[in-house]
Amino acid sequence: MTSCLTLQERAVAINPTRSCAPIGAMLANYGIHGAITINHGSQGCATYPRHQMARHFREPVEVATTSLTEKTTVYGGKQNLLAALKNIWERFHPTMIMVCSTCLSETIGDDIPAIIDEFLDKRPEVTIPILSVKTPSYIGNHTTGFDNFLKEIALNLPDRRKKKGETNGKINIIPGWVNPGDIRELKHVLREMGLHGLWITDYSETLDGGYYTPRPHFPRGGTTVEELRSSSKSLATIALQRHVGGEAARIYERRYNVPAHVLTMPIGLKNTDAFVNTLIEITDHTMPESLEVERARLLDALVDTHMYTTGSRVALFGDPDLLEGLIGLIAEMGMTPAYILTAADNRPWGERMVELTEELGVESEIILKGDLHELHKRIRQKPVDLLIGHSKGKFIAEAEKIPLVRVGFPVEDRFGYHRRSIVGYNGAIALVDEITNTIFERRATTIVSNTLIETGVEGPTAVPITLRNGAARHP
Amino acid sequence: MQFKCNQTLPERAIHIALKGPGGTCQRGDGSACFIANNVATTPGDMTERGCTYAGCRGVVGGPVKDAIQLTHGPIGCAFFSWGYRPHLADSDFHMKYTFVSDMNETNIVFGGEKKLLQSIIEANAEFPDAKAVFVYNTCSTALIGDDGRDVAKQAEAIIGKPVVFFECEGFRGVSQSLGHHVGNETIFRQLVGSVEPEGDFSRSINIVGDYNIKNDIRTFEYLFEALGLRIIARFTGNVSVDDLKIMHKAALNIVHCQRSATYIADMMKEKYGTPYINVTLWGIKNMAQALRDTAAFFGLEARAEEVIAREVVRIQPHIDAYRQRLQGKRVFIYQGGPRAWHWIELLRELGMETETAATTFGHTDDYEKIFKQITEGALVIDNPNVPEIEEILTRRRPDLFISGNKERYLAYKLGVPFVNGHTYDTGPYAGFVGMVNFARDIDKALHAPVWTMLHQYARPAPAAHHTAHGFEEVES
Repeated sequence: MTSCLTLQERAVAINPTRSCAPIGAMLANYGIHGAITINHGSQGCATYPRHQMARHFREPVEVATTSLTEKTTVYGGKQNLLAALKNIWERFHPTMIMVCSTCLSETIGDDIPAIIDEFLDKRPEVTIPILSVKTPSYIGNHTTGFDNFLKEIALNLPDRRKKKGETNGKINIIPGWVNPGDIRELKHVLREMGLHGLWITDYSETLDGGYYTPRPHFPRGGTTVEELRSSSKSLATIALQRHVGGEAARIYERRYNVPAHVLTMPIGLKNTDAFVNTLIEITDHTMPESLEVERARLLDALVDTHMYTTGSRVALFGDPDLLEGLIGLIAEMGMTPAYILTAADNRPWGERMVELTEELGVESEIILKGDLHELHKRIRQKPVDLLIGHSKGKFIAEAEKIPLVRVGFPVEDRFGYHRRSIVGYNGAIALVDEITNTIFERRATTIVSNTLIETGVEGPTAVPITLRNGAARHP
Repeated sequence: MQFKCNQTLPERAIHIALKGPGGTCQRGDGSACFIANNVATTPGDMTERGCTYAGCRGVVGGPVKDAIQLTHGPIGCAFFSWGYRPHLADSDFHMKYTFVSDMNETNIVFGGEKKLLQSIIEANAEFPDAKAVFVYNTCSTALIGDDGRDVAKQAEAIIGKPVVFFECEGFRGVSQSLGHHVGNETIFRQLVGSVEPEGDFSRSINIVGDYNIKNDIRTFEYLFEALGLRIIARFTGNVSVDDLKIMHKAALNIVHCQRSATYIADMMKEKYGTPYINVTLWGIKNMAQALRDTAAFFGLEARAEEVIAREVVRIQPHIDAYRQRLQGKRVFIYQGGPRAWHWIELLRELGMETETAATTFGHTDDYEKIFKQITEGALVIDNPNVPEIEEILTRRRPDLFISGNKERYLAYKLGVPFVNGHTYDTGPYAGFVGMVNFARDIDKALHAPVWTMLHQYARPAPAAHHTAHGFEEVES
């Protein structure tokens, strides 16, 4: 089995899989209770991400903008940012303000930290943290904004006055770019193990909230600023995505002596085992009976479904960390990740994916700097059975009549995917079910005594047909 | 009306007014001056406004069905403007594909002109059937001084088809409204009149300022055709580049959205002498008036009456049935611009009254039309922000809120029935038959059993201390 790495060379991006940095910072900031984002730029830079997040989470998403205009491109956006800070502070009394930049404010060269300092100097009564995060759209992608936010949190919020041996008894968990349902599943794992997590950050409720009357001033949930301040006293930090939070975990280690564990996103059995084993290693807690049962149930699901999944060719697209985790489960299901496409221009990651897929015994083409048009062309040349990625994959799915299993962000054309989980043993079970059912819907029309009757070959498949003498024949 | 949320934001008062006795304007600052509009947003007020790029790419240029929609800038602008606005057409290339020159840091430092030229050439090579390339400029590429106009000219010579460059940088103007203007001017300058077809155009029209949201055109085009008129171009719902090139031949422009598209009607009037009439294609009275005014221009009055009578008979029983269920409800309309006044009459035909009207980017003429139609005591608000909307919904308690997707979930969290006026829940809403859809959606929103559930069974939020770290303090 040999995998290969390709770099898409086109100048024009056609149907990109990625969006831009500010939305990542805004999303992460939603995980802090009572925090408000000010986006320093054109109004669209706040309104577009708000609209996108509202379509994914089905929640009100509120972000302030400094409403920069033509004049500010000449004189700078300082007055607008000062006014926005004043208005947000006086009107909402948030627990924290995060100011994220844009192409516009970065290109005109506004010194956001200096403007924040000036505001704080004039208003001594403002004692909340005001963080500045660099998020120009022309650097990286949406995950870059999330990651930069986490780095700023790690650098600025934790309490540096830590006595030797002082601990809060908690474990910092940086889930990365996941869904509220994923965070809840991770919380479940910690709870079953009798551990306390300190979530950096936690939008499991702020972006998947309930209906209460009256509506609370700030959405319920989110990690508090006080908790973040004490995160320097945690037992360890576990980052569950290398590129979203990995660097922040290392900052905790360097600055506050909190050991860092940077893991693969816990999707599938082995990746979840790695997460649970890390928790065991950090705390000396043992694997509880309840998690053993969940783990066994995942193995049971894998064995129950393997005849339907083994050998299917799958195309995956999305963010590097999500893909890295997903490949684990896809391989455990006996499927071949034929194409693994990401928009990131990240050669070390690509090379690691080549190694990983070869270790897993699957043959993949890993495409860097890729877009969905490129993936579509590949699929037209050599088809796949299944597509896994976010909603924008629907155009390929419709054109080629291939089912799309929706994971990642955004899922804007279906309901409730933000509530689902794909991490942990339970998340993997749910995803195994979803993938298998998708294959059922595509292949079978009738079910007789628990056996699927296939109605001929519908579309391509690489399932090897095993003959009685043990030889395999590929269709 | 004083807003509690604006105690620290006195500058908002001039954007808020009540209609006083005798049609007077009682503005929030105590004066009788007209409501302030189309000015810069107060920074940090949680505005709902978007940018000039959004107005140009999303509203005016985006619906053109056979153009390559290429954003010159970084990835986000292209990703977020891709395929979310249901400006449908009889083909879906424009909805399915977005193109972007994908500026990275190096391009921002060294300039993006080369990459733009290459992007246009490559995009055209991938989709040779496209009839034009529309290039939209963004904040960063404008600031670094890329000469997109010049690149477009070079590219046009190479690919042999129109390359239309829109100077719609997000920071220009105060809202998406300027983007509409840029879109109108650019299409007019570069495409309209570039082909001179032969033939008789004496009984032809353009429908200007309709974007075919959820197939709105299916509700009114057949009515104009029933008058014996030929529709040359729509600006810009379900339109092809070739249609735009010959739209100057029409005998009359019918202007529907009078905020985003009067510009091109004015320019055509000045350059080609094409007259235009303003119409509203929503609601029974307005749609009938639109047909009558159009027919009067062509001397087809009798036929118009036949068409109107036939259509009204079809829908009136449905409308009457809905009116009984909707009678007396008070509505808060918050739309981008003109829909806030287009719909006041329509709602009245359904027995409802507009109690608050707001727009994101309306100008004085929009607010004048609103003031003329609303009743005494109704509230008008310009460029409302999130806390103001929340305060209206909680203090004035309208029975229904008609707005867009961003505001939907705020209304829901406050227990207020909501209909999506921007992109429709189950549209189309225009014309005679579309009004039945609109009425049905309003009825569904108002009478869903969920509201009774909420009012009877919802509880206050429980104390929040244990939620943040995901660990209910069982061991303490």
